[in-house]
Amino acid sequence: MSGAAPGIVAITVVAGTGMAAVVATSVGLMPLYGKPAPSLDGWRSAAPDLVAGIGESLLIALPATVLAALVGFLLAALMLGGGRAASVVRLACLAVLAVPHLVGATSVSLLLSDGGVAARLAAPAGGDGWPALVGGPWPVATVLELAWKESAFVALVVLAAVAPGHRMRMQVAAGLGARPVQRVLRVLVPTAAPAVGAASLVTLVYAIGSYEVAWLLGRAVPEPLPVLAFRLFGSIELTDRPAAAAAAVTGSALALCVAVPALAALPRLRSLSTGGAP
Amino acid sequence: MTRVVRTAGLVLALLWLVVPLAPVLVWAGAERWSFPDLLPRDWGVSGWREAASAGLPLALLRSLVLGLAVAAVATPLGVMTGRVLGWRLTGRPRMVVALLLVPLVLPPFAVAMGLDVVLIRVGLHELVSVVLLLSVVAIPYTAYTSATAFARTSPELEAQARALGATPRQARLRVVLPAVRGSILVAALLAFLVGWSDYVVTLLVGGGQLVTAPVLLGAAASGSGNDATVAAMALATVAPPVVLVTVAALRVRGSGRTAPADRLPEPVPDHERMR
Repeated sequence: MSGAAPGIVAITVVAGTGMAAVVATSVGLMPLYGKPAPSLDGWRSAAPDLVAGIGESLLIALPATVLAALVGFLLAALMLGGGRAASVVRLACLAVLAVPHLVGATSVSLLLSDGGVAARLAAPAGGDGWPALVGGPWPVATVLELAWKESAFVALVVLAAVAPGHRMRMQVAAGLGARPVQRVLRVLVPTAAPAVGAASLVTLVYAIGSYEVAWLLGRAVPEPLPVLAFRLFGSIELTDRPAAAAAAVTGSALALCVAVPALAALPRLRSLSTGGAP
Repeated sequence: MTRVVRTAGLVLALLWLVVPLAPVLVWAGAERWSFPDLLPRDWGVSGWREAASAGLPLALLRSLVLGLAVAAVATPLGVMTGRVLGWRLTGRPRMVVALLLVPLVLPPFAVAMGLDVVLIRVGLHELVSVVLLLSVVAIPYTAYTSATAFARTSPELEAQARALGATPRQARLRVVLPAVRGSILVAALLAFLVGWSDYVVTLLVGGGQLVTAPVLLGAAASGSGNDATVAAMALATVAPPVVLVTVAALRVRGSGRTAPADRLPEPVPDHERMR
């Protein structure tokens, strides 16, 4: 353990101090100025926005994760076919993985906003005008950006997990008489399930805590928790600091509530792929 | 999968992966692009000029420094942790893995928000604070990458070097590290990307004083910049990491050190196939 200690200590001290301080701030124990005064005022004032923020965060994170998992699996399946196509797609996935989310959000804004490239392409068709995908009633652009970038991550994780022995498994299945669809549904899908599950969990937790994509592409009200927390944190009203901290604590709790049960379920998911009992 | 389906799949995959970035590429070279024109009427570099006058070169330099600093801190810490995990040198691997998951699970903005209050009281310089926090975010990536490399390398290597008279330090630096050099470079690249790409932690903990390329882009994209300027900033921000990752990927392929995932297993002889 001693060799691992510096890294682990750094994580424990920084994350532990940060979370302890943000919890203390939310209950008035760490004011920016003045004496500490325990109070739940921050939580009370933010309560309505917190409830809406949880809903908005999940409204963004869940569809983005499902779409990223689906597209990521299909990209991985394409790469598993091998050949030059696989190399090209793999390189494109790596490039997308290196794109900062802020750049992705900027480009998606130029693509899907009112005067964006997609609206220009659709303009000759006429109709009722371009739908409000950026900043509209549904977080379409936010979900698409997160799904786009995270699908590359899911694809590379699934590829790394499934590729060893993939052709052999497929040949054995074919030798046993499995049709192409059966090989995909009964061999590839169960083999890839644990990797898809793990990558989806990382995506879901990331999407819950992501700020810049929803900030640039999302609607003004309701705000997802990170956007709400950041806005309150930057407020000139010092009394908004505990409310900002309450939103940050709620975002962390939401991420933990999603991650802990999912991590516990992952070994069961793995056992499914090996034919073991759940 | 038939050839037609594979070709259609390849086209759709590339459309999905490339199209979202296309507007930045086109806008970065646009001088005048009125709606509903499909392409710019005039091409030029006014967006780049405005981006430069807004401080893009210095912002890129700060991003470079931040990325290198995060890589310099997170890589050795991650390699030390990865060695312990990969060679199973700890009796509590689950605890190490669980603690490594903490920065991935907890939203960075929440930790940054709490630390900001503490760091203001401690009086730590903004750059040091941002590097510290982003290094913690990067450690899981560097540790897991290194752990995979150590798991593929026999611990006997270090023991043999010691048996031949090397000191513990010599054995690690001159025998073990060269054996896992490729993975350490990948780990450093990942840590660099964390530092280069970050927006929210730099803005929160840096207090707006540390204007990196993403911070400059965020300010322009949220309303103050025109589309050509924003696109120029975005392209300048995205190009270095994409080029780095692409070159690294091509070098790994070119050197023949492909992952086991890419190797084709031996075909199963007909007589060994299950019926």
